[in-house]
Amino acid sequence: MSRIELVNLRKEYGSVVAVNSMDLTIEDGEFIVFVGPSGCGKTTTLRMIAGFEDPTAGDIRIDGEVVNEKEPGDRDLGMVFQSHALFPHKNVADNIAFGLRMKKVPQDEQARKVQEVSELVRITHLLGKMPAQCSGGESQRIALARTLVTEPSNFLLDEPLSSLDAKLRRELRAECDRLHDELQKTFVYVTHDQEEAMTLADRIVVMNQGKIVQMGSPMEIYGDPVSYFVADFFGNPAMNLIEGEFVAGTNGLEFHSSQFNIPLPAKYSSTAPGKGSLGIRPENVTIGATGGGASINSEIELVEPLGKDTLLYFGTDADRPFVAVIEGTEEVQRHAKVDVGFPDDAIFLFDANGDRIR
Amino acid sequence: MAMTKSQRRHAFSAFRYLVLTFWLLIVAFPIFWMVSTSFKPDREWFAWPPVYISENATIQNYLVVWADVSEYGTDAEGELETYTQSLQRPWEALGNSALISVISTTLTVLFGSVLAYGVSRYGILSEGRMFQLLMLRMVPPIVLIAPISIWYSALGLLDSITGLVMLYFLTTLPYAVWMSKSFIDEVPREMEQAAEILGASRMRTIWEVVLPLVRSGLVATFLFILILTWSEYLLALLLSKTEVVTLPVELSKYQGSTEGRVYGRQAALSVGITLPLIVVGLIIRKHLARGFSFGMVRR
Repeated sequence: MSRIELVNLRKEYGSVVAVNSMDLTIEDGEFIVFVGPSGCGKTTTLRMIAGFEDPTAGDIRIDGEVVNEKEPGDRDLGMVFQSHALFPHKNVADNIAFGLRMKKVPQDEQARKVQEVSELVRITHLLGKMPAQCSGGESQRIALARTLVTEPSNFLLDEPLSSLDAKLRRELRAECDRLHDELQKTFVYVTHDQEEAMTLADRIVVMNQGKIVQMGSPMEIYGDPVSYFVADFFGNPAMNLIEGEFVAGTNGLEFHSSQFNIPLPAKYSSTAPGKGSLGIRPENVTIGATGGGASINSEIELVEPLGKDTLLYFGTDADRPFVAVIEGTEEVQRHAKVDVGFPDDAIFLFDANGDRIR
Repeated sequence: MAMTKSQRRHAFSAFRYLVLTFWLLIVAFPIFWMVSTSFKPDREWFAWPPVYISENATIQNYLVVWADVSEYGTDAEGELETYTQSLQRPWEALGNSALISVISTTLTVLFGSVLAYGVSRYGILSEGRMFQLLMLRMVPPIVLIAPISIWYSALGLLDSITGLVMLYFLTTLPYAVWMSKSFIDEVPREMEQAAEILGASRMRTIWEVVLPLVRSGLVATFLFILILTWSEYLLALLLSKTEVVTLPVELSKYQGSTEGRVYGRQAALSVGITLPLIVVGLIIRKHLARGFSFGMVRR
C-alpha cells in the first residue's frame, strides 16, 4: 500500500513560480501521467516527489508520512531518467546491481535478482556489456531494470522515452504498460507527448504554467476538455480551433469567423455574445450531407491520404487550416466543393479566456 | 583544372601533415639540441658551424654534474679548471624539487577538485568569483615578491620547503579549480541523482560515480600543475636560494660570472630535469589521452 499525496505544493525559483499550489493524491497502483508543454512544472513536481528539489511550501506525503526532509534514497522510490543516467564505467550487470549493493543485499541474492529482472525486461544478453556498447532502447531497458531490481513501491519516470526514435518509443511504451500491469505498483510518468499520456495513463494530469488544468481518464480529457489549452493539446491531428465571435442571430447564437459563419446548437442560446473560439475534432467533421447540425459548402484545398484514413484540408490560407478526417481513401478530388458538417454534439465552444462554454 | 572532391580532400590532408611536421620540428628542435649538447665535449659547445651530432660523444658532462667527478677527461681544456664544484648540489635539488612539487601539486589538486565540485554542483562560487580566482594568476609574480618576502621573513618561511609549498599551492590553485571543474561539469547531475535514489550516500556517490569518471581529468590536471611547479624559477630563486635549492635554480648556477658558460653541463642537468616529467607522463599516458580529450562521459 503506497499513496503519494501532494498538499499545497509550491516551488519558486526566485520570482518564477514553477509549481503553483498543487494538490493531488496519487492512489496505490495507479499509472498517473503528468503532461504539459515544457516549463509547465511537471518535471519540477516529479523532482520534488523524488527529493531532488525542495518545495518552497507545502508537503509531500508518502503513505501518510511527510517526506520533505527525507533523502531521495529513503523515500521508497525508483526513478528512470530522460538521459538513462547509466554509470558508464560499470558494466550492465553492475549497473543493475548498484541499488542492491547500496542496500547491502548478500552477493548471491544480488546475482539472482539481477538475473530475474533482466529476464523481465529482456536484457539478459547485455549483462556483460558496457553501457556505451548498448543502443538507446537497450539503455532505457537497463535503466528500467536498475530501478526495478530494488523493488520500490513507486516508480517515477521523467520523460523516459523522449530521447528515442518513434518506433522504439512505441515499443517501450508498450513495455512500460506491461510492467505496470505485472507489478501493480504506482507509476508517476512525466511526458510532453499527449499520445504517450493517452495510451499509458489511468489518469492524466494536464499541467500548464505551474497549475493543474484538468485531471481525468484519457477519454475524459479527450472527450470533455475544460479549456482551449487542453482541447488543443490532446488529439492527433489536433482539434480544429477557429477564432471568431459569437453573434446573436435570428435563430439563436451564431459563430462568425473569417472562414465561415454557422448557427450554433440550441443549448448555447443563453450564451452571451462576444469573442471566442469554436472547436471540432477532425474525425467528427462530416463530409457530404449526413447527420444533423450546421454545414457549410467549402472547397477541398489539399488531400493527404494516410492509408487507412485521408486528411482533407480547407482554408489553408488561415493561421491554421481546417482539417477533416475521413475513413478510407475513397476518391476525393482536390478543389472539389463539398458540404462540411458540424454535428451539434461535436462542437466545443471556448470564451475569450479559453474556458469552455457549456 | 578543378580538383575532384577526393583530390581536394587528399590535398588538404597533405597540407595538414606538412604544417604539423613543420610544427613538430620547431617544438622538438630545442629538446634535440639539449640532448645533443649534453653529450658534446666542451670544444664543441660553441663550435661554428654548429655540431648537431657529436662524433666525440662523451658522458663526461653527466659525470661532472650528477656524479661529482671533478677532473676532466684527457681532452679537457685548462680554462674550465676554475669551475667551482662546491656550489653544485644537483641530487639535493632534485630531492627538494620532487618533494616540493609532489606535495604542493597533490594538495592543489585535492583542494582544487573539492572546491570545483562545490562550484559545479552547489554554485559555492559565483561566476564573478571564479574569474577573480583566475585573476590571481594575472598578477605578475614579481610584484608580489616584496610583500611575500617580508611576511615570509617574519614567519621564518624563507628558504624553507614549507614556504615554497604554500606559495605553489596558492598560485596553482586557480588552474586546478578551473581544470577540474570542466571535468566535473561533464558528469551529468542525473547520474549522481540516479545513484542517490538507489540509496547511495553523497560520499558514496562521489566515490563510486563521480571520481571514476573524472579520474583521468584529475590526472591530467595533476600533471599540468606538476609541470608548472617543477619548472618554477622566479619564486624559488627569490624566496630560497641558499638552503632549499630547486632544480631550476640549480640550473642557473651553471651560468654566471664565476662559472662561465658551461653549456654541456647545463644540458646534462636539463636532461635530468626533463626526464622525470617524461617518465611520469609515460606512466599516466592512458589517462592523459582521455583527460585531455575531455568528454569521456557519453551523454
